[in-house]
Amino acid sequence: MEFKDYYKTLDVPRDATVDDIKKAYRKLARKFHPDVSSEPDAEARMQEVNEAYAVLSDPEKRAAYDQIGRGHQPGEEFRPPPDWDAGFEFSSRGFSPSEEAAFSDFFSELFGQMGGGRARYHTGGGEFRARGEDHHAKVLLDIEDAFEGATRQISLRAPRLDAEGRVTVDTRTLNVRIPKGVREGQVIRLSGQGSPGIGGGPAGDLLLEVHFRPHPRYRPDGRDIRVTLPVTPWEAALGAVLSVELPGGSQKVRIPEGAQSGRQLRVRGKGIPGSPPGDLLLEIQVVLPSARNPRAREIYETMARELPFDPRRDERA
Amino acid sequence: MRDDDVLTGAVIEETWLTVEQMAKICTVEPQWLRHHLEEGLFPRTECVADTWRFTGEHLRRARRMREMERVFDAEPELAALVADLLEEMEAMRARLRRAGLD
Repeated sequence: MEFKDYYKTLDVPRDATVDDIKKAYRKLARKFHPDVSSEPDAEARMQEVNEAYAVLSDPEKRAAYDQIGRGHQPGEEFRPPPDWDAGFEFSSRGFSPSEEAAFSDFFSELFGQMGGGRARYHTGGGEFRARGEDHHAKVLLDIEDAFEGATRQISLRAPRLDAEGRVTVDTRTLNVRIPKGVREGQVIRLSGQGSPGIGGGPAGDLLLEVHFRPHPRYRPDGRDIRVTLPVTPWEAALGAVLSVELPGGSQKVRIPEGAQSGRQLRVRGKGIPGSPPGDLLLEIQVVLPSARNPRAREIYETMARELPFDPRRDERA
Repeated sequence: MRDDDVLTGAVIEETWLTVEQMAKICTVEPQWLRHHLEEGLFPRTECVADTWRFTGEHLRRARRMREMERVFDAEPELAALVADLLEEMEAMRARLRRAGLD
């Protein structure tokens, strides 16, 4: 396990005041906010910053960390000495147990077990009974999965109570069936797959937020799917029946005569399945053949001579 | 993988969450949610037979507002304004993606 320098993570000196730490945390929270940050690893960095703040903002955790951290360098191999935490009493502030479960092994080793097991929940005997905590995770899918449904393997780090009532963090893997027809941003609830209950209480739920990987052709819009459809000038001018590849198989689509670039065709019910199903929205993009070939050039020149066509006429009117 | 190893979930927007369920997921007190509802900081929520109904969209909003309040000590109205702006930004980004410009 590598030693983590939380002061370095927050870029504060070791004698920083509580206010300095809060100020540094806010500055970094803004910098790495996943919704607005342009940093490539913003989410991971925000997690590190949260972890550092969870320790340094809490006087007990900070004091214990300072005590064991003397003389250690970041990245250095580290094992906490036995009973290192004697004399400290930890409590969880600000971050929930499931948020803390996402922190590093270094954090879990030091603080995940709530100070070596002194802070225990009572189990059995009806002393204390509570529903387990709900967990929240993102699941990344391909758009094709929304058409056909999919089964995904998801790994979660979650707090767990051991037989003696101590909180430990473990990793578990679940196989989850994603129902056909899911949309970007929807949340799937798996009852009873969150944290186990305490003292015989029911387990919490697992909530999975659905996100789609960007696709080179399909652009989801709710249950509608937008696709750019390249067509030749003669298909656009004369109309045509074209085959469009979709996740559920190919679909024949009629292009009306006189279709222009940018025009949108709606094929009802051919988007993501559901009640009601989404639509397929085809955006026509007329693509010109190159005039480098002498024959192609001749055809363009014939059109230029014989077609009375001026696309800029309206601009002059 | 055996079929009985596979878990099947329910999509929340086809059901909905109560104040208590939302509070648990977002690790806030139900009173925090009720206060934000009363102040109109959760648009597009509906109350049927005295029960507030939340969707997956509200879940993201609640988590964002809670984060703003916790990290920056933001007033609820400011946290809601930030959530509004982030939602607006998401909608604009989605429009860019749909137009193939992102």
